[in-house]
Amino acid sequence: MITAERKPITEIEAMLNPFRRILVVGCGTCVAECAAGGEKEVALLSSALRMDARLKGRKIEVGEVTIDRQCVYEFINELTGFVDHYDAILSLGCGAGVQAVAGLFPKMPVLPGLNTKFIGETKETGLWIENCRACGDCKLGYFAGVCPLTRCAKGLLNGPCGGSKNGVCETNPDTPCAWQMIIDRLEGRGQIDLLQTIFPPVDWSKYEGKGPRKIEREDQRSGS
Amino acid sequence: MAQQKKGPVFAIFFCQQLDARQDINRRCLEKEFGSHIRFFPIPCSGRIEPLHLLKAIESGADMAYLLTCGEGDCRYGEGNIRAKKRVNYAQGLIEEIGLERKRIVLISKKIDAPVSIDILVREAIAGNDMLPIQWNGHNLQVDD
Amino acid sequence: MEVESNLKKVLMNGHFAVTAECGPPKGADPDVIQKKGNILKGYVDSVNVTDNQTGVVRLCSLAACAILKREGLDPVLQMVTRDRNRIALQSDVLGASALGIRNILCLSGDHQSFGNQREAKGVFDIDSIQLIQTVRSMRDEGKVIGGDVLIQPPDLFIGTTENPFADPFQYRVLRLEKKIMAGAEFIQTQCIYNIARFKEWMKQVQDRGIDKKVYILGGITPMKSASMAQYMNTKVAGMDIPDHMIMRMKSVAAKNQREEGIKIAIETIEVLKEIKGIQGIHIMAIEWEEIVPRLVEEAGLYPRPAV
Repeated sequence: MITAERKPITEIEAMLNPFRRILVVGCGTCVAECAAGGEKEVALLSSALRMDARLKGRKIEVGEVTIDRQCVYEFINELTGFVDHYDAILSLGCGAGVQAVAGLFPKMPVLPGLNTKFIGETKETGLWIENCRACGDCKLGYFAGVCPLTRCAKGLLNGPCGGSKNGVCETNPDTPCAWQMIIDRLEGRGQIDLLQTIFPPVDWSKYEGKGPRKIEREDQRSGS
Repeated sequence: MAQQKKGPVFAIFFCQQLDARQDINRRCLEKEFGSHIRFFPIPCSGRIEPLHLLKAIESGADMAYLLTCGEGDCRYGEGNIRAKKRVNYAQGLIEEIGLERKRIVLISKKIDAPVSIDILVREAIAGNDMLPIQWNGHNLQVDD
Repeated sequence: MEVESNLKKVLMNGHFAVTAECGPPKGADPDVIQKKGNILKGYVDSVNVTDNQTGVVRLCSLAACAILKREGLDPVLQMVTRDRNRIALQSDVLGASALGIRNILCLSGDHQSFGNQREAKGVFDIDSIQLIQTVRSMRDEGKVIGGDVLIQPPDLFIGTTENPFADPFQYRVLRLEKKIMAGAEFIQTQCIYNIARFKEWMKQVQDRGIDKKVYILGGITPMKSASMAQYMNTKVAGMDIPDHMIMRMKSVAAKNQREEGIKIAIETIEVLKEIKGIQGIHIMAIEWEEIVPRLVEEAGLYPRPAV
């Protein structure tokens, strides 16, 4: 899932300052799973924004709506007409959601209420960890299902650096050393020799080589 | 009761496992405080959401209390531990908009003897030093 | 005039090599490097210049190496993959060779979150092993990554580091082997204080015959004080100073701790000389270069061989 965190209220407030009627739009998919932009968070933030305005003697109107996905036209389109009543949209979607909503309503200021963080896993309740960098060339098959490009602070493909100690990364004692994980798993399978091959440099052209990437699938497209 | 009309409004969320005589005990407080007190029974304090606390304040409460059993007492396991974290989150949120953290209060009571929410709430209210929230420009009206 | 690596010649002639580290200044003053170079001159075979160590901005390693070269020393260019992508790295490799620098030490580098540019983007386009392979291929095949042919290949003696004290211990030697496979010709180890563990690691190195394929230089850092020992042990990534060593530093009066540190360093050098497969030492006297001549002399490693 794509994870995100709410921006500080002061930052949101500063963005919303010029507007009186605000529609807070949640997204029911990734950011709902990571408790940043689902229905509950829309209600909570809207309540806080209304109170904030009242404390400062400003009159605002805050509308609340959550759509299933902010990154898919069919779902965003549910907002058509509905948004006309408002001066601005505060999107609690990920960066892709904010842009997709802004794309459909080009005359409407669409502001981000979240900071999009990473592609991650819900490791435990209330704990999300980054484990995919969307490099476009998945190598997990070689690394026992642990991505060193993402989960090693230096993105090393050929083994741990000299800062791996007691299973944790030198950069942060809360971060497990990805290479310790890879080695432990491969050792458990008796496949440590897999790591003796030198991995060539990453082909970053699959990641950012020619600017923004796209996927085009003829079989999925409509029309001729 | 005239003096209370100017005083703060209290929202009391409480765990229903706390006091077997809760209905009788809260009724006498409701009579006494009128619209200045409102009770919200919840089956376990672990069911509290930050949104409940914020909504209470948004709709007129100046103080929001959550009454839970003591750590280790929860019949569902860790309801009051969760409640504590959620209260903490809600406190952070109201602080971000410029309200005092202590407008949201967690009261945790070890159930080693029968608990009366009447007594707990009276103690809490007696100990409160917060004035009504000064909503700049447009205060919410409290209906009696 | 053909320039050759002094370090390579010393090692190939079977001498016990001595190198020392030289940290460039946090400023543009070339005199600092000249001064450090002149302190070390004659006492070491080669001077190793750090590349923005611990992620702190300093005068660049390449320029510092060029200054040392001019002063008649044999510099080792440290090159980390943290700050530059493969285009810049390969370009600097060519530049270094053109300036007459004949040794390179390939590293991934301390993470940027440790330094004074914590908001920097860590590049890590390639890793240290890939850098070794790249320099080796540039030198031996005259090819850059992707296969383009160079008009003239660079001439560099290629080294890297290894930390015998990091984890996972069981993999450290396999990783060293991988570095040699990639083309490393000499290895500098992390500072050695935990001799028991170092010997254990060297045993694995010998068992796999690695010491016959590469020159290994043991890392030495004289401790200035007990508090420095404690600081390094807890705060510096990849460092392992056993408790008994810290206790030993603590057991002497503060004013004598420097002497104790020097004593420990010399004792460690003596131990290293006796370990099969160790072909030299690398002294990392952090901001204490002036102590290097004394260490070298007292360890019986002076004068240095003329090769």
